[in-house]
Amino acid sequence: MNRRLPQLICGLCGVLMFLLFFSNHPLAKAVNQTALDYWQIIAAFALLVGVVGFARIHLKGIRQGSDIPFRVVGLTGMAAMPAVAIIWGIGGDSPFMWLFENVQAPMQSTVFALLAFFVASASFRGFRARSFQASVLLGAALLVLLSRSSLEGFSSSILSDLADWLRNNPSMAARRAILIGIGLGSLTTSLRVLLGIERTWLGGSR
Amino acid sequence: MISLSTRHWSFLGLFVVVVVAMLSGFRPDIPVTSETRKLFDYIDSLPSGSVLVVSFDHEASALPEIRPLAQAVVRHAFRKGHRLIGLALMAEGTVIGYRLMEQTAREFDRTYGRDYVYLGFKPQNIATMLSMGESFSQTFPQDYFGAPYDQLDLMKGVNDYRQVAAVISITDGNMPTYWIEYAGARFGVRICSAMTAVMMTQFDPYVSSGQLYSLIGGLRGAAEYERLLAVGGGGARGMLAQSASHIYIIVLVIIGNVLYFRTGRKGRGTV
Repeated sequence: MNRRLPQLICGLCGVLMFLLFFSNHPLAKAVNQTALDYWQIIAAFALLVGVVGFARIHLKGIRQGSDIPFRVVGLTGMAAMPAVAIIWGIGGDSPFMWLFENVQAPMQSTVFALLAFFVASASFRGFRARSFQASVLLGAALLVLLSRSSLEGFSSSILSDLADWLRNNPSMAARRAILIGIGLGSLTTSLRVLLGIERTWLGGSR
Repeated sequence: MISLSTRHWSFLGLFVVVVVAMLSGFRPDIPVTSETRKLFDYIDSLPSGSVLVVSFDHEASALPEIRPLAQAVVRHAFRKGHRLIGLALMAEGTVIGYRLMEQTAREFDRTYGRDYVYLGFKPQNIATMLSMGESFSQTFPQDYFGAPYDQLDLMKGVNDYRQVAAVISITDGNMPTYWIEYAGARFGVRICSAMTAVMMTQFDPYVSSGQLYSLIGGLRGAAEYERLLAVGGGGARGMLAQSASHIYIIVLVIIGNVLYFRTGRKGRGTV
């Protein structure tokens, strides 16, 4: 019963939302809006679960003595931002905004920018013409890279046209196939959940 | 003396290349692609006063690439006298989006509430997109500052997507997919996007099918847009560093392959 009931609720809600998606009746719209409001509330609780999970994992790590400085910084940051926001608000000149704009945003941008260094290193160490297929991939990658550079004298319109052809023909054909596959996969999984065949979301298959 | 490995030399080389390129002051000549021109022409062709939704669906990590793009698009919209509704479907984009709209609005002497409104962040992107199709006021009963919907002049004439010329999703992820599926397909609103270069190829099939009206991407897209606007900006500046680093990476790939073949393909994996 403790599995049947959630499955039944999930199935009924799924079918209801599916039907509401295609209906323009005022009653359907009202029910749809109410369901969407509840969705927002569930999202807030999901955030709470995430925060508790993060805290538990890192407190456990601190107790076990692994990576203590990093975990302390992570936990402090997570606690400090909401605390500062609650005490001084999130207005334009608040400490929260200052922390966001001068600490969090630059740090995140820096981490993202570090990717460029790893790409440079990886391209030197790993991007080899080991086979015919790898050579084709290498050639295409270099062509696209060069076409996106736009350095005068290096990137002619022929290069751009060639790169566009690669993107809009062989590459697009492959991506379309992948997207259709993803779509069919999502559809199948959704149907399996609604019909109660897929039960992993309940914590197991039995 | 610290001994540097191959990896460290390649890091150092990239750093030097980017610094030298930025200091050189060289301005690359950037031809405008049809993709960028399509969005520019569309915004240009709308009658003054049209309402556009600009959704800041990105995080702070993508700012160096996203900010020039967003600024160029918002500048263009304000310059043409359009009215903008800003919102964010990712929490971190909220402040970033508001700051950008506020600064750009000041450049063009636009008034909050009449020329632009910022609705702020709403969790659960799909629910929000669907809900806006039913009613903006029920989805966002107040703006970012807590002002009621009916106190905002701009919003008085906007009930749902039917009053909106287009939604422009400024993103570093796959949020346009949801805009296309839940706002475009369900309610028929026109979806455009400005995104990080790495995400662009994922959306080519949507552009090709017309589900995504137009797409501009990366620093290159920003630089092209700035050229069309005839203004300078972060796009053109950033393109210099990007172009130099691309050339550097191409040179590294070539050197790596030459060494690979010279060693008779024995040194597989590392050089």
